[in-house]
Amino acid sequence: MKPLIQIEHVTKTYGEVPNETYALDNVSLAVNSGEFVAIIGPSGSGKSTLMNHIGCLDKPTEGRYFFEGKSTFELSENALAKIRNEKIGFVFQSFNLLPRTSALKNVAMPLLYGTVSTEERLSRAKSMLEKVRLSDKLESTPAKLSGGQQQRVAIARALVNNPAVILADEPTGNLDSKSSAEIMAILAKLNSEGKTIIMITHEREIASYAERIIEMKDGKIIFDQKHRSKNSRIKEDGFLKRKG
Amino acid sequence: MDLQETLTAALEAIKINKLRSALTALGVIIGVAAIILLISISAGLQGYISEQFEKLGANSLFVIPGKLEGSFGGGPPRSVNKLTFNLIDKLERSPNPSIVDVFPIIELAVTASYRNESKVTTLDGLKENYFEDADLAAQKGRLFSAKENEIGKRVAVIGETLAKDLYGNNDPIGKNIQISKKSFTVVGVLEKQGRVGGVDADNVVFIPLNSARKLTGADQVNSFIVRTASTEVIPQAREHVEKILNRSLSEDDYTILSQEQLLSTILQILSVLTAALGGIAAISLIVGGVGISNIMLVSVTERTREIGLRKAVGARPRDILQQFLAEAVILSVFGGAAGVLLGFLGSVAISRFIQTAVPLWAVLLGIGFSSLVGIIFGVVPAIRAARLEPIEALRHE
Repeated sequence: MKPLIQIEHVTKTYGEVPNETYALDNVSLAVNSGEFVAIIGPSGSGKSTLMNHIGCLDKPTEGRYFFEGKSTFELSENALAKIRNEKIGFVFQSFNLLPRTSALKNVAMPLLYGTVSTEERLSRAKSMLEKVRLSDKLESTPAKLSGGQQQRVAIARALVNNPAVILADEPTGNLDSKSSAEIMAILAKLNSEGKTIIMITHEREIASYAERIIEMKDGKIIFDQKHRSKNSRIKEDGFLKRKG
Repeated sequence: MDLQETLTAALEAIKINKLRSALTALGVIIGVAAIILLISISAGLQGYISEQFEKLGANSLFVIPGKLEGSFGGGPPRSVNKLTFNLIDKLERSPNPSIVDVFPIIELAVTASYRNESKVTTLDGLKENYFEDADLAAQKGRLFSAKENEIGKRVAVIGETLAKDLYGNNDPIGKNIQISKKSFTVVGVLEKQGRVGGVDADNVVFIPLNSARKLTGADQVNSFIVRTASTEVIPQAREHVEKILNRSLSEDDYTILSQEQLLSTILQILSVLTAALGGIAAISLIVGGVGISNIMLVSVTERTREIGLRKAVGARPRDILQQFLAEAVILSVFGGAAGVLLGFLGSVAISRFIQTAVPLWAVLLGIGFSSLVGIIFGVVPAIRAARLEPIEALRHE
C-alpha cells in the first residue's frame, strides 16, 4: 500500500539565489494512513513550512509531493483547493473561527465549497459538534465560548468533510493545560478511530500523545521515531475515562 | 458555492457592519435619488408641455403667411400676407379625405370698451363651427350662429377675464361692447380656459369671421387652421394643402406648422437637457461607487484571515471573488432601491409645486445602473481578495 503522504526530496527556499534561505532542505517523509505524527522543533526549524506543503497550501521549490499516491505538483490552484476541501482538515493554534458566526455555521463552512445541500451541511455540522460534545453550543458565537471550546469547534470543522488527514498546527498553543488535555484526548480518540493526524507542537508533553515523533531543525528532519505503540496513552487519560 | 449561498454569506457580512454598510450605500442612494428626481421632473415637464400643446389641437396644421426659418423662427414673418379668402375658398372647394375642415382666423389686438372701462384684448374672427371643433362652450348666454356669421352680424362672445374687467359683477349678456369704434352686442361668455402657453386665454373676444372681415376691410386672414381627420394623416393633409397653395403662391409665402413638429422639437431639447443633468447626477453615483470600492478594500484587509481560512478549507479563488463581489453588488443594489424610493418620495413632494412623473424605465435604469456600479467598483477589491495567498492570509494579524 502506498503511503497517504509521501514527500520526496522537497526543498523550499525563500529569497533570491545566492542569498536564499532554506525553509526546507531536502526533506523526505512518508506518513501512512492511520498514523498519529507529532512534528517538533524550535521556531524557524521549518515545521510550519513542512505542514503547509503537506496541506497543499504551498508548493516546493524542488522535490515532489504525492498525496494518496498522486503527484500534486502539476495540479491547478482549483484542484489543490478541492484536495484541501475534501481530504484535509485544518486545526490552527489560534482556532481561526469566524468571529460573528455561530458554532454550527463555523463547522458547516468548509461544506459550502463542496456539493452538499444546505440541510445536509447543517446536519453534518451538528453531528460533528456532538462528537466534540458541544451540542448545547450550536448557536453560540466564538466570543461566548472558552478557548478549549473554540478549539473543539475548530476540530469539528476539520472533521466535517470526513478528511483523510487532520493537520493540527500547535492545536494547544493557546490553551491552558486542562483544555490542552481535552483537545489531545479528542485527537487521540480520533486517531484510535482510524483518522490520520499530523500535529505540530513545541511541547514534548503534547508530542507524547503521538505514536511517532519527527524532530526538525534548520529545515531538516533530524529525528524520526515511532516511540511507542498506539493507544497506550489513551488508556491512562482521565478525560476519556470520565466520558466512559 | 452556489448563488444562494453566496448571497446569504454576503448578506450576513453586510449585517455584521450595519452602520458602515448603510453609510457606504448612502453614496449610491443619493446618486440614484438625484437621477430619479431629475428624470421625474423632466418627464413631468414633458407631460405638461404635451398637454399644453394638445390644448392647441393635436389634429391640426397651422398655416401662417410668410416663411418661418426653422421650427421656431425669429420674430414675425415680414413678407406681404398672401393668405387670402380666395385661397381658402379654393382649399374648401377641393376636399381631401385627410382634411375635416378649414378654419380661417382673423386675429387682431384691439381695445375693447364698455362705458368707461376699456381693455386691450385679442380679437378673433372665426367661423361659428370653430367653437364646436375647439370644444369651446358658453358659461353664460350663447355662441354665435352660422346665420350670424354669414351675414356678418355684430355679435361678440367674450372670455371670462374680459367680462370681469369690463362689466364687473354685472351680466354682460345683451350689453354692448365697443371694438374699433364699432358697437357689438355681447351674446355669450366663454367657459374659463385658464392659461395656455403662458397667455391668459380668457382675455379674448370672439366675433363672426365675416364681421371681422368687415371690420378690417382686408382680404387676408392672419392664419388658418387645417383640421385633419387624425394625427396619422397629418402628412397627407400637409401635402394636399401645399399642392393647393403652390398653385397660386410660392413656397416662401406661407409656412405650415404642425403641433407635432413643434412639440417634438421642444421635447428633443428637453431630453438633451435631461441627459445632461442626469449625467451630472450619474457622477454622484460614481462617487458612491468609489465609496463602495473603498469600503470593500478595507473589508478585504480586515478579513484577510477569514479569506485565508476559507481558502485553506477549500474555497477556490472564484468562490472568494464571488463572495466579495456579491457584497459590493448587494450594497449598491440596496442603495439603488433605497435611492429609487427616496427619489420617488422626493418627486411626490415636489409634485405639489410642479408636475412630476416617475416612469418605469427610470426605476429600472436606477437599479440597473447602481448594480453596474457595484460590479465595476466591487471587482478590484474582490480580485484582490481572491488572489490572497492562504498562508500569508492566515498569518495576518
